[in-house]
Amino acid sequence: MIECKNITKIFNQNRHNEQIALKNINLKIKKNELTVLRGASGSGKSTLLSLIAALSRPTKGEIIVDGKRVSKMLENSTAMFRRENIGFIFQKYNLISTLNSYENIILPTIPSNPNEKELTRHVDTLLEMFSITNKKESLVKNLSGGEQQRVAIARSLINNPKIIIADEPTANLDKKLSLEFIKTMQKLKQQNRTIIIATHDPLFFNLNFCDNIIEMKDGHI
Amino acid sequence: MKINHYLIGFAISSLFRRDAKSFFIIFIFTSLIFLLSSILFISNSIKEELFITLDSLPQITVQKLQAGRHANIEISRVDKLLKLNGVQSAIPRVWGYYYFENAGVNFSIVGIDSFDKQYKKNFEELVENIDFDELEKNDSMIVGEGVKEILSQNYYKDFFNFVKADGELKKIKISSVFKSSTVLESNDIILMPKNLVLDIFGMSKLKVTDIVLEVANPQEIPTISQKIKNLFPDTRVITNSDLRVSYQNIFDYKSGMFLALFVVSAFTFFMIIYDKASGLSSEEKREIGVLKALGWKIDDIIKIKFYEAFIVSFISFLLGIIVALFFVYILQAPLLRDIFMGYSRLKPAFELPFILDLQTIFLLFFLTIPIYIAAIIIPSWRVAIMNADEVMR
Repeated sequence: MIECKNITKIFNQNRHNEQIALKNINLKIKKNELTVLRGASGSGKSTLLSLIAALSRPTKGEIIVDGKRVSKMLENSTAMFRRENIGFIFQKYNLISTLNSYENIILPTIPSNPNEKELTRHVDTLLEMFSITNKKESLVKNLSGGEQQRVAIARSLINNPKIIIADEPTANLDKKLSLEFIKTMQKLKQQNRTIIIATHDPLFFNLNFCDNIIEMKDGHI
Repeated sequence: MKINHYLIGFAISSLFRRDAKSFFIIFIFTSLIFLLSSILFISNSIKEELFITLDSLPQITVQKLQAGRHANIEISRVDKLLKLNGVQSAIPRVWGYYYFENAGVNFSIVGIDSFDKQYKKNFEELVENIDFDELEKNDSMIVGEGVKEILSQNYYKDFFNFVKADGELKKIKISSVFKSSTVLESNDIILMPKNLVLDIFGMSKLKVTDIVLEVANPQEIPTISQKIKNLFPDTRVITNSDLRVSYQNIFDYKSGMFLALFVVSAFTFFMIIYDKASGLSSEEKREIGVLKALGWKIDDIIKIKFYEAFIVSFISFLLGIIVALFFVYILQAPLLRDIFMGYSRLKPAFELPFILDLQTIFLLFFLTIPIYIAAIIIPSWRVAIMNADEVMR
């Protein structure tokens, strides 16, 4: 389902501060698999995730998702691809702090001008699923780290994406909240979603529902 | 195309989320629109008032020049002028300026004769119940509102003692005051029988200040002017179009001065607005990055920025126009009007006529709102075309 062919990513190419983040990465992730990318900081995990999510483009090589060459798509097509296929959970959640939980969760749906009733119903289901119904109207800046993360997960699921990508999701959480997150991932996997998690948190390395653990070091697999 | 209310709602909420910045921009923008529109409204109203005045000016005025200066003209020339083909009437006028030392102002004194029908008709429009015979019999005069006010302030409520050319005093009664609607043209005028004016100014009865002509066909004005020049080479012939140009030049000079100031102030305002509005903060850039990462297209981001900019600029525009209308037509533009009208103590107390020139409003609209919208959209677009990942880093 997701295929990376000879991916190389170079930042600031041909400049004095050129940095090779990924070198000839080849990777295949099947549908409904949960894949963990492990490695130290700076190993290239986040860069690889952002390439798979079409947040940036590889310097060389190509990424194919469901038969589509996402790395060759035009800008607007990649936006549509992200909207329809990807649910991204960022390390720092990337919520808009001055919006409330509801407003943050619906952000990915706004350009599609959704039906209000259906949207509200869907958001309420997600809020309930993540036990944050009582935080619906709260500004996210007033929420705890765990609550913010649950809002971020709810946001990543609002468009029913086939692929969930999480970048260091437990970096800012304590062990209890990290285990809660892992449970959530298990539930999402049961819903037949493809999940890729970049982490160096050992909690993820012995999961019985994890299909692949990929070790990354200095931009290599 | 279905309107995306969520996008509009998001744009509005963005403005409220950055309330201090939004209100600052609205304040500056409103002030700019208010200033520009006030000046244009005042200018339009005064222009309108001047055109009304110009319409009542004589078609041709004949003045004698001596040593390059205006001199009194022989009344005998009236008959010769009347003999010219196309000349319908020729009216000798006696007028001059009387300096009132106590107040430091000049009054314009105009002499009339009861038999000067055309002339009389012109002034009948200015006074409510004029009785020319009474004026003649009782040594009385009709004064403009400004004159009346100045005289009253100097204890001349019912009469005024003019100092004649030979130093003697001439007591003239105030018979009535010009209609307030004509105040712009009549404010400093004193109207009295011609003989009284000749007496006060010490002028010969055989001479007048100038002669005004009425012609049957306005198209003939240049030809008749040329004929007069040929007949009396020592005269200056002033047509109403010359006067119009001259008035217009004075008015345009003041407007031009203001236009130059507008450009400078508008430029300054826009620099402030551009600086405040277009300089995207790191938080705003990150927000664009997040929206892109969540699947927003470049045009979705441009749309919300357009809505934000349009809402701010349109609200400011409407507020600016409404405040300017109130300032100019209800408050009568205190301070600003003085700059246009001059600082004379005989400053007319006339009301600025309400002229809503849609062209002016459209001009202001197209000179401000699109520029502001562009100042918002261009920097946002620059960020939006970058990779989401790059923007968020």
